[in-house]
Amino acid sequence: MPDHSARTDVQLPARVTMPLLTLITQQSLDEDYLHVAERRAAGAPPPPRRLPHRTAAVVIAVFGILVTTAAVQTSRNADITDAGRATLVSQIGDRRATLSELQDRIVRDRERNVGLEQRLNQVTSTEEEASSRVRRLETVAGFIPVTGEGVRVVVDDAPNGDATQAVRDEDLAKLVDGLWSAGAEAIAINGYRLTVLSAIRNVNVAIHVNSRPLTPPYTVEAIGDTRTMQANLLDSTLGSEFFSLAEQLGFVYSMHNVDELSLPAARFPRLRSVQAGTSADQKTHMDEETNP
Amino acid sequence: MIAALGLLVGILLGLWFRPDVPLGLEPYLPIAVVASLDAVFGGLRAYLDGIFDDKVFVVSFVSNVVIAAAIVYLGDKLGVGGQLSTGVIVVLGIRIFSNVAAIRRHLFHA
Repeated sequence: MPDHSARTDVQLPARVTMPLLTLITQQSLDEDYLHVAERRAAGAPPPPRRLPHRTAAVVIAVFGILVTTAAVQTSRNADITDAGRATLVSQIGDRRATLSELQDRIVRDRERNVGLEQRLNQVTSTEEEASSRVRRLETVAGFIPVTGEGVRVVVDDAPNGDATQAVRDEDLAKLVDGLWSAGAEAIAINGYRLTVLSAIRNVNVAIHVNSRPLTPPYTVEAIGDTRTMQANLLDSTLGSEFFSLAEQLGFVYSMHNVDELSLPAARFPRLRSVQAGTSADQKTHMDEETNP
Repeated sequence: MIAALGLLVGILLGLWFRPDVPLGLEPYLPIAVVASLDAVFGGLRAYLDGIFDDKVFVVSFVSNVVIAAAIVYLGDKLGVGGQLSTGVIVVLGIRIFSNVAAIRRHLFHA
């Protein structure tokens, strides 16, 4: 390890301790000129003088070439730079035009979009209308099983009564029609779904629904608004007729609301004939459906 | 006098031949010009101080140009070419200004 304390005594040269900027400013003249001058003053033989400063003149000429070349080069490059700039400017113009075109397209597309959205809304509402109509028709036609709150009426023949006191088809039909008019959406008797094509008919003693025999007691299940259906039934002509008949003939009957009734789908009716319709037909059908 | 003649001849030669600088050397040309400018002003000041020497002038000129170009080349390789050329130009500029100040003192005694 070198001895540090001995080192601090040594005077450091000025160019080591001086700040950089000061050094640059003070030594702006090459020191070599000073060295050579000092050596010459100390008595060194002066260099043989030929033509004064010929080398210097050559170097100065080189300097001139350098400066000129740089200037020429820069002015030449200026053309290229200008050309590049012109190209860029024209490119900018082109891109701007493209941009405005694209913006126009955006506006057009937006307008089209709005139009399409409106049409979509229309189509959607039409579709909803149609599907609710289908649903209503399916319910009325017994195409699908239905579940919901409703009223259950159980009717049985008069106990110990004679044949005239048995429940007949017209009695049940009265009850069913009364339920329809009281706002029932779907009706089933003993688990057989009634549709617009269903028939209730007496064959001998037994009542047939859709050509299937029933055995008493007859359970009539109707889906509809439980708050109003019983009252509506009692209010309706057919309903009150049925109940007064039931009182007269001594039928055993009971009627109560049920929170959840499940009615099965009706048997598929066979398609007998088809007729091509027109839009006017459809209009009348729709009117019939809404005002049955 | 002969130096001014040399400068004139150099400029004329440059204009006459319009030497084409290779693309690779183009970035070093301005730095070389500034470095040689520094050497020229240093030489002029030494001349006015009465201590001008041909050999010193030539050596300082050539070494200034070469070193300045080399520093910028190194900077290019390191990816800081722009910053290094700025540094070189600042240092050389300070030297040029103080040399010119000395020359002014000689010429105008001010």
